[in-house]
Amino acid sequence: MTAAISMSMPMSVSTARGRVLCVDDEPNILRALSWLLQKEFEVVTSCSGREALEIVRKDNFDVVISDQRMPEMSGVDFLREVRAIAPRAMRILLTGYSDMQAVLRSVNESEIFRYINKPWNINELPKVVAQAAEIARTQSAPVPETAVEELPLPAREDAKILVIDDDPQMHAAVEMNAGDLATVVHVTNVVDAVHALQNQPVGVIVSETRLGSVDLTRLICLMKQRHPQIVTVVLAEETGTDLVSKLINQGQIYRFVPKPVKSGYMRMILRSALAKSAQLSDAPDLNGRHQVEALPEEECNILVQDLNAAVQSSVAAKTAPADEHSGLLGGFFKRLFGGAR
Amino acid sequence: MHFHLVRYFSAASLGMFLLVAAALTYFEFQQGDFFRTTQTKQADFFKDVQESFARRQEEAARRDLLTIHESGNVNLTRLFANALWERDFVPFVEKAQAISVEPCHAIADVKDEKSGKMSAPAGKKACFAEVGRKIMALPGFKELDAKVVDSMKKSSVFKIKVFDLRGVTIYSSEHKQVGEDKLSNAGWRQARDGKPASELTHRDKFSAFEGVVENRDLISSYLPVLQPGSDKIVGVFEVYSDVTPFLAQIKETSTQLKKTADGNQASVTQAAADAQAEAEASSTKTLAAVMVLLGILFAALFAIVRRADGIIRAQEKEREESMQQMAQAEKMASLGQMVAGVAHQLNTPLAFSHSNVSLAINALQEFEAPLSVAGRIADLVRANPGADTVPLKLNSSRAAIEKIRVDGKAAKEIAEMLGDVIQGVDQMSELVENLKDFTRLDRAKLSDVDLNATLHTVVYIARSSIPVRIAINEAFDKALPPIECNPSQLNQVFLNLITNASQAIEGDGEVQVRTRANGRHVYVDVIDNGSGIPADVLPNIFETYYTTKPKGVGTGLGLPIARDIVRAHGGDLQVSTEVGKGTTFTVQLPLSVPVASRTA
Ligand SMILES: Nc1ncnc2c1ncn2[C@@H]1O[C@H](COP(=O)(O)OP(=O)(O)OP(=O)(O)O)[C@@H](O)[C@H]1O
Ligand SMILES: [Mg+2]
Repeated sequence: MTAAISMSMPMSVSTARGRVLCVDDEPNILRALSWLLQKEFEVVTSCSGREALEIVRKDNFDVVISDQRMPEMSGVDFLREVRAIAPRAMRILLTGYSDMQAVLRSVNESEIFRYINKPWNINELPKVVAQAAEIARTQSAPVPETAVEELPLPAREDAKILVIDDDPQMHAAVEMNAGDLATVVHVTNVVDAVHALQNQPVGVIVSETRLGSVDLTRLICLMKQRHPQIVTVVLAEETGTDLVSKLINQGQIYRFVPKPVKSGYMRMILRSALAKSAQLSDAPDLNGRHQVEALPEEECNILVQDLNAAVQSSVAAKTAPADEHSGLLGGFFKRLFGGAR
Repeated sequence: MHFHLVRYFSAASLGMFLLVAAALTYFEFQQGDFFRTTQTKQADFFKDVQESFARRQEEAARRDLLTIHESGNVNLTRLFANALWERDFVPFVEKAQAISVEPCHAIADVKDEKSGKMSAPAGKKACFAEVGRKIMALPGFKELDAKVVDSMKKSSVFKIKVFDLRGVTIYSSEHKQVGEDKLSNAGWRQARDGKPASELTHRDKFSAFEGVVENRDLISSYLPVLQPGSDKIVGVFEVYSDVTPFLAQIKETSTQLKKTADGNQASVTQAAADAQAEAEASSTKTLAAVMVLLGILFAALFAIVRRADGIIRAQEKEREESMQQMAQAEKMASLGQMVAGVAHQLNTPLAFSHSNVSLAINALQEFEAPLSVAGRIADLVRANPGADTVPLKLNSSRAAIEKIRVDGKAAKEIAEMLGDVIQGVDQMSELVENLKDFTRLDRAKLSDVDLNATLHTVVYIARSSIPVRIAINEAFDKALPPIECNPSQLNQVFLNLITNASQAIEGDGEVQVRTRANGRHVYVDVIDNGSGIPADVLPNIFETYYTTKPKGVGTGLGLPIARDIVRAHGGDLQVSTEVGKGTTFTVQLPLSVPVASRTA
């Protein structure tokens, strides 16, 4: 067993912008992180998950950064515990390599704030940590997660689940599992999705990652960026660590479940998503905890192009007047991009 | 080992066919022999039957002839007696009775030296001859003789004699014999007692009524002469009759019969010989046909076996090729796994080195101002030699100088960062070193391989690709002798075993890699404290494509390939396991690869 060492780097308390706990089994990594972060933060390090949990229990941290691959206890398991013990702390997974299972669990169980790959960028990492620390310090802490299931659900009329998928089975499954809890809106193409998002107060989005040729991840990310109270559940045919880590960082998705989804599990997820949605709309200051990394400009452009193309083709195919759609799109873009274009 | 199907088949079946052919020929000959002896026996039997038939036929004919002539002679005698006895012979016989023969009878017979029979001596014969002369001298002899000759002329009777009851020849148509004594003659005695007696004789010379005749078959009958009107025997006749023509006829018939029999016999023998020849010919034909059929059978089987052999060879080749492809695929899979592990392993030093170097660069930039200030001060000091103080004009640079906040620690920290970078670089070069050792693509086979070093590399590589919760420990025998092997192939074996071991461990666990040696072999044990292998799985683990792992995790090629490689080294791969306790795979390798496996 590796001997657990923890060290505190010297810091001037006056300049510290937050308390950060770094966990990695490789001492060199911990030292590098300390050197990187010590100027701005009070950095505590630990090279084992178990020891770090003890530290978290005793001390108060704004940000917890953990490696994934560690002996005894993996980063995901550690961060899940941290979520229960110290819900206030923002959780960041810093990893060189993790398998699909770990990435999924980092979303669904650890509910991490960011997924960061090694090697990190020395300019970006401190910024992310600073952002996380800022959120932790300024925003109120959520109720410990175990309680989410007991949270009151919104009234059935107010709660709306938007299902974006071209597989009728998924629609049926959502309807069956959550039809009694909320109003379920079904769309099978991106134009109808835009329509629904524009006109209805959607609380939970249940979405695929793509519809035909249209990549939905950008839409998901941008919706979350603009409307942090929206809770997103992704039920996807295709998976991949890059895809999921992007959806974590830029979309702060609530759950990611690879298809096929078991019925009972889907109901559990949808119920907790609805509760989360109610919690977020009741306490809007919690939204800050799900701030996303801004979608890069070029990605936004691609999204605009995709949407325009989808509208054009649906105008060509359907009898709907073109101006109605362009009007809709204009309004939607205003909603998406805050009237910037 | 290679099995020469066609060669073995040909040898075995040819040998077998030859045996069958030999056996068949033998039995055919046996049968032919049997047939022949049976036929010979049959022919002999047939011959016997024919011969005995012919003999009996002749005997019967002779007997009949005798009987017929005897009765003929009896009648003749009656006639003769009726005609001559009362009138002519009775008075003559009475006269002859007067001649005494007692003296002659008194002369005893003597034993003949040669034949041992009793016969009359010459004196006795002379005595009776004297009696004969006396009889012939009796009156009436001449008339009697003439009458007899007269009555016998033109009959088949050649001679006639008359005896009285004393046995004395009273009359004979051959006068010489008158007076002869017949007392001891069996035929005479029988006739005297009332029964005729006949006998067939052959005479080269015979004096008959009409002179001497030659080469004749005769029947002589002794016949009792009865007193006419009563049963009283009064004398004995002897009559010779000629049966030469009859006998010739009988003989002729017999010869004819014999000829026919011989003909039959010949044709029977001929038929037997023909049958034999035919049987032999047909058996030769059968043999030939069987041989030809056997030949055809052999040819057909040979063709089938050759074709089968070809197919088997082709399949074998295909199997080998697909095995190689699988091995390649497995190599690629484990390579992929390894590459992922190595990438991760490389990522850690890369991450902190990159971070530290970037930080050091940033920190060094902060040293620019203090260093230029220090440089300016140094210039001033040099410009004022011997002075205790130097004048420093601040004017515009004051603000910049005031900003400088630096202590010696900063430089020390940079040195530490860069020190860590050196460590990182060392880690990376260690990895590269191990990677090079692991693959060793430059040399295929080495003679003095230190397995401990090789295994250390494998363990190093494996550490990067298996979960960190599993510890891999080395327990090496320091005195392990070097062996001759292909290290890059064996590395694949060890990596497969270690990967399997780690996959058998749920949660935390340990994999121990142990080496040991005895005089001729070295052993590598890969010991895990994982799940163990259930009894129903154990028999299958070395089968290609057998896996209990989910798709994408296991292909089921690891162990079969490992075993092939180890066997190609002349070694063996063994397993011992206990469910719930763990598993030990043992690779046994000879110190040098046996010649037979060198092609591997
Ligand atoms: N150390 C071990 N402990 C328990 N079971 C084992 C161990 N090693 C092998 N096995 C069993 O033997 C099976 C065959 O192993 P093998 O290495 O041939 O294939 P695999 O590991 O399933 O797939 P691959 O090696 O191709 O990825 C495994 O599926 C597993 O059930
Ligand atoms: Mg295997």
